[in-house]
Amino acid sequence: MSTLARTAQPKPRIAWGRVLAYTILIPAALVAMTPFVWMILSSFKTAAEIHRMPPTFFPEMPTLDNYRTIFQDKDLPLAVFYKNSAIIAVANVVQVLFTSSLFGYIFAKFEFRGKQPIFWFILATMMIPMQVTMIPGYLILTKLHLLNKLIALIIPSAIDAFGIFLFRQFALSIPRELIEAARIDGASEFRIYRSIVLHQLKPALATFGMLTFMFNWNAYLWPLIVLTEKSKRTLPIILVWYTTKNSVQEHLTLAASVLVVLPILVVFLFSQKWIVRGITLTGIK
Amino acid sequence: MAESTISTQPVPQVARKPGIFSGRDRAIKIFLAATVIPMVLYMAFWSLFPILWGFTLSLFEYSARRAGAGGFLGMGGANPYIGLQHYVNMLDFSEEAPKIVKQFHQSLKTTVLFAFLVVPLNMSITLPLAVMLDSIHRRLQPFFRTFFFLPIVTASVGVAIMWGFIFHPQLGLLNGILTAISGKMVAIQWLGDPHLKFLGIPVALLAVIAAYLWQDIGYNTLIFIAALQSIPQSLRDAAKVDGVNSLQMFWHVTIPLLRPTILLAAVLTMISAFQVFDIIQVMTNGGPQDQTRVLVIDIYYNAFRFQRMGWASAVSVVLFLLVLVISLIQTRLLRTEWEY
Repeated sequence: MSTLARTAQPKPRIAWGRVLAYTILIPAALVAMTPFVWMILSSFKTAAEIHRMPPTFFPEMPTLDNYRTIFQDKDLPLAVFYKNSAIIAVANVVQVLFTSSLFGYIFAKFEFRGKQPIFWFILATMMIPMQVTMIPGYLILTKLHLLNKLIALIIPSAIDAFGIFLFRQFALSIPRELIEAARIDGASEFRIYRSIVLHQLKPALATFGMLTFMFNWNAYLWPLIVLTEKSKRTLPIILVWYTTKNSVQEHLTLAASVLVVLPILVVFLFSQKWIVRGITLTGIK
Repeated sequence: MAESTISTQPVPQVARKPGIFSGRDRAIKIFLAATVIPMVLYMAFWSLFPILWGFTLSLFEYSARRAGAGGFLGMGGANPYIGLQHYVNMLDFSEEAPKIVKQFHQSLKTTVLFAFLVVPLNMSITLPLAVMLDSIHRRLQPFFRTFFFLPIVTASVGVAIMWGFIFHPQLGLLNGILTAISGKMVAIQWLGDPHLKFLGIPVALLAVIAAYLWQDIGYNTLIFIAALQSIPQSLRDAAKVDGVNSLQMFWHVTIPLLRPTILLAAVLTMISAFQVFDIIQVMTNGGPQDQTRVLVIDIYYNAFRFQRMGWASAVSVVLFLLVLVISLIQTRLLRTEWEY
């Protein structure tokens, strides 16, 4: 629509604003990518080249030695940490999507006693920073003997207040006739949720699912507190551990960073549409 | 963290004709009971209880190591109730104040300074950036957008390691560039020299802000682009007919129209800046000389390294109050009517 309006402008004059935009955006994009590019390029440098002053930008003799060292390092079984991260992120996506869509739908379409106070409580919990509940959360997990278990990062996060709020907004627009028709056909309430409501909420599921995955995959502080045993750690914690341990071996820590950060970036790049939609829709951080 | 505009529209009543579907009401009641009751119990245990416990802990001299020494949940006995003593101690601004109190003051000051630097810097980058991204050819927009999208989805730990390497005194790109420009060896300790200040602000703090901004600007840029695209084209066309140039358009048309979005984005940016941890912990660990020590770092080390969980809880309550004040200002500001 707006494109049409623009091309329909009568005067074909040079859009100086646009020229200015490109002259600023192109260098800005290059600057924004510099940390990535330099890290990737540096991970192919030899130890000698990395430690030479002043630093080089492009590797003089590109080598895969750093990666080989990491893959042969018995102290750093990356596959284990990838698996830990994946289990936690996927389990959280599944459970949070289930509870958010179910309770979002219930708060949008049903009346029951105590509904308003419960909903207000859910909204209120969104105002409480995670750092307030972090200490009691840790103490509870200690008491339940769940520290250093992956489920410690799954069980306490089964219900996401923000997810319920978001899905309620979406579920409000589901036509009531659709639900009533299914009731007349004799579908059970859970069946209605599963086959009609979930179907209607598909775009929200994709968007919120990507955000939840990203959030859990990149999480650092809470896993750092809960998972102190090395074999149970997730990728961000193990990366910091490795970097601290090899603090003077930058050629190795950079290659490790590339291995931890980049593969998932490719996934995010392909789901960019959903993540961008999620961010603009929710302002979530 | 997740904040958003909390709107409270009245929930449409489910109009069901009573009696027609006999057994249906019962089925709905069973469905609700089977879902809502577990949810309430779950939230009581994993949300309400930790929140209340968090506030209660701040009234105790509590250490998990001493827990089990008696009392309810290990509170009491060896972990005595001390009332508001932690909060009273926080107000000790004298020279003889204990180190943890001084560190708290330092953390509070640094957190506020951090947030009040991040928000205006963020806004002054993201707004023009969004306007520029919105003004270029539609087909190229996704391409350019990707460059500012990638840092958002990068693990903040990875961001911190990358930027730590850029600021590295000997091997870093920044000193390398400065060396190339000046022609003589530059080895500035960007993250490690406590005497390095710029306009009275520690350079190490500015360095972590640079890394933080690099990761964070994509969010608001995306939000502003979406808001820009919802501005009716007729308004811009009208301004163009009046012979308005790009800069005037930005100041007198775009900014006023985006005001509600800008306010909301500023508040959300500030709330998340108050809770910064990852990047600072990895890049400087609060140093040098506590110059980048923020509240969450203070909470983390007190609670989980030094076992001062009561004190750390009190600090987290202060953080909560900071967030609450900003949230209340937000609801105040946004209650005013906003119409195009």
